[in-house]
Amino acid sequence: MNKKSWKNELRPLPFILPFFIVYVAFTVFPIFKGMQMSFFNWTLIEQQDFIGLAHYQNVLTDPNFWEAFGNTTLFVVLSTPTMVILALFLALLANLNTRFRTLIRGAFFIPSILSVSVISYVAIFMLQPYTGVVNNLIQAFGIDQEPFWLAEPSLAWVSIIGVTLWWTVGFNMILFLTSLQNIPDDLYEAAEVDGATRMMMFWKITLPQLLPITRVILLLQVLASFKVFGQILLITGGGPGTSTRPIILYIYEMGFERYDLGYAAAMSYLLFVVLLLLSLVQLRLGGKGGRMI
Amino acid sequence: MSNQQQSALSQKRDPLRLPKVILALFMTFLFLFPIFWMIFVSLKPESQPAASPLEWFLPPYTFVNYIDVIGGSDIFLWIWNSFFVGIVTTILTLVLTSLAAFALSKMKFRYRRALFVFFIAGLMVPGEAMIIPLYEIIGAMNLLDTYSGLILPMIAAPLGVIILKSFFDGVPNEVIESAQIDGCTDIRLFWNIVLPLAKPALAAIGILTFIGSWNNFLWPYLAIISESLYTLPVGIPMFNSNYSESYILPMTVNALASIPVIIAFLLFEKQIVKGISFTGIKG
Repeated sequence: MNKKSWKNELRPLPFILPFFIVYVAFTVFPIFKGMQMSFFNWTLIEQQDFIGLAHYQNVLTDPNFWEAFGNTTLFVVLSTPTMVILALFLALLANLNTRFRTLIRGAFFIPSILSVSVISYVAIFMLQPYTGVVNNLIQAFGIDQEPFWLAEPSLAWVSIIGVTLWWTVGFNMILFLTSLQNIPDDLYEAAEVDGATRMMMFWKITLPQLLPITRVILLLQVLASFKVFGQILLITGGGPGTSTRPIILYIYEMGFERYDLGYAAAMSYLLFVVLLLLSLVQLRLGGKGGRMI
Repeated sequence: MSNQQQSALSQKRDPLRLPKVILALFMTFLFLFPIFWMIFVSLKPESQPAASPLEWFLPPYTFVNYIDVIGGSDIFLWIWNSFFVGIVTTILTLVLTSLAAFALSKMKFRYRRALFVFFIAGLMVPGEAMIIPLYEIIGAMNLLDTYSGLILPMIAAPLGVIILKSFFDGVPNEVIESAQIDGCTDIRLFWNIVLPLAKPALAAIGILTFIGSWNNFLWPYLAIISESLYTLPVGIPMFNSNYSESYILPMTVNALASIPVIIAFLLFEKQIVKGISFTGIKG
């Protein structure tokens, strides 16, 4: 290779290299480091013995792991459809042509920019028995009950899912709203000429036109819900007992409370594989969801 | 917008318009209720328990809780930490991703495509599943409990590269070539010609990066031990768990933490919405 083309090959280096180094160090390298750690008895003081696949064997027979995995899956299964339907519903409301439009959109979105710590503590205190505003309201409507929202597994799940909906649905709502506004007007005009009712327009035009974005939202939502952590840690701490403990909280407890980083790394790796498979599904099925690329 | 004409056109014929608007306003109320509740509770005198829902919102009001919280906690320090980490993270992210995207879009070199695919693959790596090895790596670099340890893992965001590359691809190559013939250096080409054209994308990525960093919980929760380095999301739970009985002061902390974000949202609403619609990424 002559001198000039060498120079040409080196030209992009100062542009690429800074990103490349950080990307390799903090995104790519952890994948390999995590795999290595999962093969060792790895504690905070780093006594390291190679133990091969023993962690994986233990994880896969650990009932706590399966419970946490089941809890996470339960959260995904319960929250995802609700989230998508509520987001669509809110987007339709936010798309109404009224003078309150900006207010309505802002209200649906504003909770999503609040910190998980804020929303969690607002929820905890609103849900408190005897002095919380939620029970106050229930009783104001004449229902003589004092639910202990965070003390019973099923109510705790209802609380967590409710809070998560309130907190994050605005994000998906915006994606739906953008998509709604991109539906070409002529479709509706043509349908109007043909005498279609509004109901028919919704089922025959709006919904089919929203299908691609719905698929994207669905997959993004499954991925996001699988990583649930902050609000559960702060609202229930995984309780009562361990009945709402998600997988990342269990990883956190094994790694940073029981200092078994190797075991936690093995669990992380299993979670990584699950999330990777879901991402691959997203890239394959996402259709225009590949629009991220 | 022509879309508004369309809805204006057909709204006359929608017999359900009024109920829909009422429903929309009811949902608006529902979504804002917890935020208003938080703010009203923060204005309650400490000795005033509320017996009925309405009493939460009625006077007397007082600002004494705000004075107590500001005097009795490190809340301004946590806000400053969040702000500092957020700003540095945002600037570094923008610099690193736009430089890389420029090279990938406007320079010809071997392995360009392969490199792009390598970066895209990073979208599939979930940070949450990588906290254990990341903790080990940052620890080995002696960066636990430092600003750098908070910032570095967050700045290599491949999504930014991908979005900016597609923006730069839209800049006609003739512009680049003629500038090069005029003797324009790569860095001036980047700074004076290409970058200004990507302003909307940079603004959107920047704002979303800042919000993401501002609200990031898991990583600061792990990587920070010293109270003086707490970011706001980590400081709030530490403060609030000291007050399990009365929640007037905790709600004051929450309100103090939220008011700047809400104001920022009102100022930057358009860019935030634009950013979400073209990145479509969940935090």
